[in-house]
Amino acid sequence: MSIYEILFWFLTIMAISSALGVILSRNPITSVLFLIVTFFAISGHYILLNAQFLAIVNIIVYAGAIMVLFLFVIMLMNLNADVEPQKGRLLQLAGVIAGGVLFLVILAALKSATVLPLEKTSSDIGLIKNLGRVLFTQFVLPFEISSVLFLSAMIGAIVIGKKEETKNPLTP
Amino acid sequence: MKAIIATTILGIIMMFAGIMAKEKKPLTTLATILLVILLGVNIWDLTNTSSLAPESLFNNMLRIDRYALWFNTLMTGCTLLYVLLVGREIQKVGEHVAEYFALIFFILCGVYLLSCYNNLLILFIGIEIMSIPQYILAGSDKRNLKSSEASLKYFLMGAFTTGILLMGITLLYGATGSFNIVSFSFLQSDHLNTLALAGILFIMMAFSFKVSAAPMHMWTPDVYDGSPTAFTAYMATIVKAAAFFAFLRLFQVSFGSLSSHWTFVLAIITAATLLVGNLTAVFQQSVKRMLAYSSIAQAGFMLFAILAVNAVAWQGIIIYAVAYSIATIGIFTVLMKLKDYTYDGFNGLAKKEPLLAFVSTIFLFSLAGIPLTAGFMAKYYVLQALIQQGSLLWLVIFGLLMASISVYYYFRVIIAMYFKQGAAELNSPVSGTDKFMLVFTCFLVILLGIFPQLLLGNI
Amino acid sequence: MSQLVYLVPLFPLIGFLINGIGWRRIPKSLGGVIGSLAVLASFCVSLGIFFEVKDPSFHGPVIVQLFEFIHSGKLFIPFSFQVDSLSSLFLLIITGVGFLIHVYSTAYMHDDEGMVKYFSFLNLFVFSMLLLVLGGNYLVMFIGWEGVGLCSYLLIGFWFKNRDYTNAAKKAFIMNRIGDLGFLVGMLLILFNYGTLSYQDFFGKLQGAQPAGISSDTYNWIAICLFIGATGKSAQIPLYTWLPDAMAGPTPVSALIHAATMVTAGIYMIARSHVLYTLAPMTLHIVAIVGLATALFAATIAIRQYDIKKVLAYSTVSQLGFMFLALGVGAYTTAVFHVMTHAFFKALLFLGSGSVIHAMGGEQDIRKMGGLGKKLRTTQITFLIGCLAISGIPGFSGFFSKDEILAAAYAHDPVLYYLAAAAAMMTAFYMFRLYFLTFTGGFRGTEDQAHHLHESPAAMTIPLIILAILSIIGGYVGLPAVISEHHALGSFLSSSVTNISEHHLEAGTEWMLMGVSVTLSVLMIAVAYSVNKKPNFTPSTGLAKILENKWYVDELYDAVFVRPIQNFSAFMERFAERKGIDGIVNGVGKSVRWGSDRIRLLQTGQVGFYIFVMVLGMITLFALGFFWVKL
Repeated sequence: MSIYEILFWFLTIMAISSALGVILSRNPITSVLFLIVTFFAISGHYILLNAQFLAIVNIIVYAGAIMVLFLFVIMLMNLNADVEPQKGRLLQLAGVIAGGVLFLVILAALKSATVLPLEKTSSDIGLIKNLGRVLFTQFVLPFEISSVLFLSAMIGAIVIGKKEETKNPLTP
Repeated sequence: MKAIIATTILGIIMMFAGIMAKEKKPLTTLATILLVILLGVNIWDLTNTSSLAPESLFNNMLRIDRYALWFNTLMTGCTLLYVLLVGREIQKVGEHVAEYFALIFFILCGVYLLSCYNNLLILFIGIEIMSIPQYILAGSDKRNLKSSEASLKYFLMGAFTTGILLMGITLLYGATGSFNIVSFSFLQSDHLNTLALAGILFIMMAFSFKVSAAPMHMWTPDVYDGSPTAFTAYMATIVKAAAFFAFLRLFQVSFGSLSSHWTFVLAIITAATLLVGNLTAVFQQSVKRMLAYSSIAQAGFMLFAILAVNAVAWQGIIIYAVAYSIATIGIFTVLMKLKDYTYDGFNGLAKKEPLLAFVSTIFLFSLAGIPLTAGFMAKYYVLQALIQQGSLLWLVIFGLLMASISVYYYFRVIIAMYFKQGAAELNSPVSGTDKFMLVFTCFLVILLGIFPQLLLGNI
Repeated sequence: MSQLVYLVPLFPLIGFLINGIGWRRIPKSLGGVIGSLAVLASFCVSLGIFFEVKDPSFHGPVIVQLFEFIHSGKLFIPFSFQVDSLSSLFLLIITGVGFLIHVYSTAYMHDDEGMVKYFSFLNLFVFSMLLLVLGGNYLVMFIGWEGVGLCSYLLIGFWFKNRDYTNAAKKAFIMNRIGDLGFLVGMLLILFNYGTLSYQDFFGKLQGAQPAGISSDTYNWIAICLFIGATGKSAQIPLYTWLPDAMAGPTPVSALIHAATMVTAGIYMIARSHVLYTLAPMTLHIVAIVGLATALFAATIAIRQYDIKKVLAYSTVSQLGFMFLALGVGAYTTAVFHVMTHAFFKALLFLGSGSVIHAMGGEQDIRKMGGLGKKLRTTQITFLIGCLAISGIPGFSGFFSKDEILAAAYAHDPVLYYLAAAAAMMTAFYMFRLYFLTFTGGFRGTEDQAHHLHESPAAMTIPLIILAILSIIGGYVGLPAVISEHHALGSFLSSSVTNISEHHLEAGTEWMLMGVSVTLSVLMIAVAYSVNKKPNFTPSTGLAKILENKWYVDELYDAVFVRPIQNFSAFMERFAERKGIDGIVNGVGKSVRWGSDRIRLLQTGQVGFYIFVMVLGMITLFALGFFWVKL
């Protein structure tokens, strides 16, 4: 077993178990912390895949910014207590069964699938320079057009988040 | 292509206009003018493209053909009609009128992407660009708790579906090593890679959610009912039509040769959609909720076109999109004028506002598919497409049966307006412009019912 | 002239638009004049077309294409009209009788506040009916077909303040929709198998070589589907129950739509498609049997009805049954002939009953009438002519057409003849029962009504007189073979419809048949007279009670179809509504005796529940897609 494989299995188990931790823990703060661990594990996978830039961005953006935001929100709203209402056991059971069946169905279906052989490419594929080149040539349209997506998301944040003035100077 | 750039720029102009404007009314006027410009750009695009050779842009990210451009033009036209009809209602929803219009322009950007994508990445981004503004618009009436609830519900379930869509795209990439939708048409039908089949089914589920087909339809009644009516009218029409166009594009261009693998599943979805939509619509007390269920039912008919996988399906989806959009926007416009959204709220409308009652009758006729209205032609074309496909005659007959059920709940409104006593109360007086626009819309419905070729001659 | 055929439906359309848009502002009398003139104009054009078609130099059907309707792929359906002898004859009937009824309505509806609206609906109806008979393909016919259904719905429910009336309208609509579904499926089958809807192409292909892959079963399926459409529109068993209820509408509407024109659409359709039906002998048998059964069945019901309009309604159902019988034995032109004579005398009878109701101040129960003949002389005489015509007394129009049907039935199978003769016998009985109870004897109404009795104004009596004349002379266009070799109507129609030739009856047999049916009719008139000379209306028992209750068919339908559907709907309502889903979840919960308060918490998780359903659906669909069906 090479070091690569050891690392792969270690990261995989870490990702899956911490993902389970996110769902299973009762305390929201613990959930968020588990999520951060998950992100780290996934970043590790990115590094194994030679995608260094993606790994860094994943940590900075998700584990860093977004999760901190989550933590702030949870703390500000004082949700750290175990306040989640107890779900009916029947529903839990049904959910587990449904999810399990879905998993089984897909697993059974994919069992027979043939996977394309891996293409070995040069190891510097994930460098910022190469990534940038691809992003600005081959994938320029999706890259640029995403800005519209983010713009509308920003508008949304403002429209939803801004307090509606009670006294309304703009009434028609 | 010019239209995609134009709609983004116009959306930004709209946003900045919000800073300048002191009142709401000029914003609506501005939006109307900008939409006219956008329509012009679309027509410019259309005249510059020859009908024969589809044009590939941005390393095959987009493939522009006449169908797509014509569809874009029609949808822009419908949006213009929509703004003209419900512009004043949009002003009443909340404070951020400029932003609402900007979001509509961004939705149009998503519509354009979805009509000419040639790559699954663009499909994904297009769907997101189209969806996120909708989540916001659904929750724009912040004084109303139901609106916020609708927004949150829509967002949560939409996010779930996004996951499904991404899963499908990933599986397809795993099977073929490509995002390009044309490359999938080389998949072998006789021994299809199971990865690819799973991907196709996942994408089908995600599309089913977007077009509100059973069993992914559960969000539709709640969201349509909770959202401000002005925006429900948009979500239920143009957005849905664009999702259908994208659906058809992928399943015809890419998976058409594999249709034996997915036709049965989609046929089951279609039958379930027709059944759920029509039967549930029958028992609604609120007309708005009935229209939500009826939009599920209409989606069932549009799915016929996707099942058909032939040339008539394109014509069918275009006619259906326009016919359904116009009539639905029309009936929602009338609905917004009323105080009470239940059937009882329509009682005696014919006495009080004969014109309003008359135009709603025409719109409902069209939705029900009565001959000489656009809706009849739409149903006719999709049925015709499915008949030509040949192997699903049971579904055709089932569809006809469901269509005759649908007549019942549409006619309930007509009966309430004409044959019941009561004093329908209006929310706001109906202005001359409103009347003119409604009559014009009504005229369009009948015109397209007599000359459906108007919509197809241009392709 | 035939190139101007589009003018025929155009005039009523204009009339509809004028009256429909301005129904609040146009004064009543003007509305009536506009409506009547529009139909008169079409009548004049129709007359021109008729004479052109009648001319020996006229060759084949003329197709007038207005514009391209549908053009998708190989399929091309124009919006076109077809002018030939069959459609030109129907044009005359519709516009001619229609005009008389419009004139009649100007007086009949004069006190109604919605008179202008009424005329706009009536014009719309005439327009749709003209589309139906003029269409050059099944699609145009279908548009007219739906249009007349809609107008009939609007006009039945015209006095919508009465809840029963709107229910009647709904019933008519639903029954018609069931039939329409059959028509639509038939149309799609034609499209699927032959790729065309145009009459000429379709019949051409039918008469040509049988294409590969189309078995003779296909003919039967198409023919049966179309026939289901006809049973809905033309009120045949099992879809006939709407027609008697449809009498809730104003009486001229009953005369125009539910006697003279719309209900004969089914007959027109089958006569138009005779090429198809000739190829589908099994369906023809079904048509004949359904027609005969309806004729008998409705006649028995009519015997014990007391509402003047209900008697006429059941009589219409019965007469339509005769027409289907004629179609079923392959005597297409005979059916059309009976459509024509029936239009005259049934319109006359309905308008006459309208005149009676008018005089009685809205009373429709014949038990409260009697002796009206003294005050309403014109009505009485014209009504008598109508009764004689429908009973098949020689010299009147009904005699010729009915006799032709009976002769054709005899030539086909004597059993059909005996049953049909029995129905004809009953016709004579119930019509004269109606006549004697209404116009002779002593008056049985209130003092007020007796005082109020008066003859109707000229606008009502003149159409009655014209129709009475037509009811007498209308039959001479089709003299029986034993009297004259030349059958004027038959040879006129021969360019578009011809009968399936049966072996000819010998002259002696035909004379005998004629003699038998006439004798029976006269006998029944005498019986009717003796029974109703001193009418007593004791509550009936036994068979009479069953007849009075229309064989309990409505109740049967209610028990077999309506209530189960309602129960099912109620179930679906509970199931499909959001509450219902919770209800089922709750029910499951209770059944396993799980704490109810825990289950209640489920209701908060709406989104979770929705996603749960989505996942369940996905599992099912995946399982289907992967394992079950690999098409």
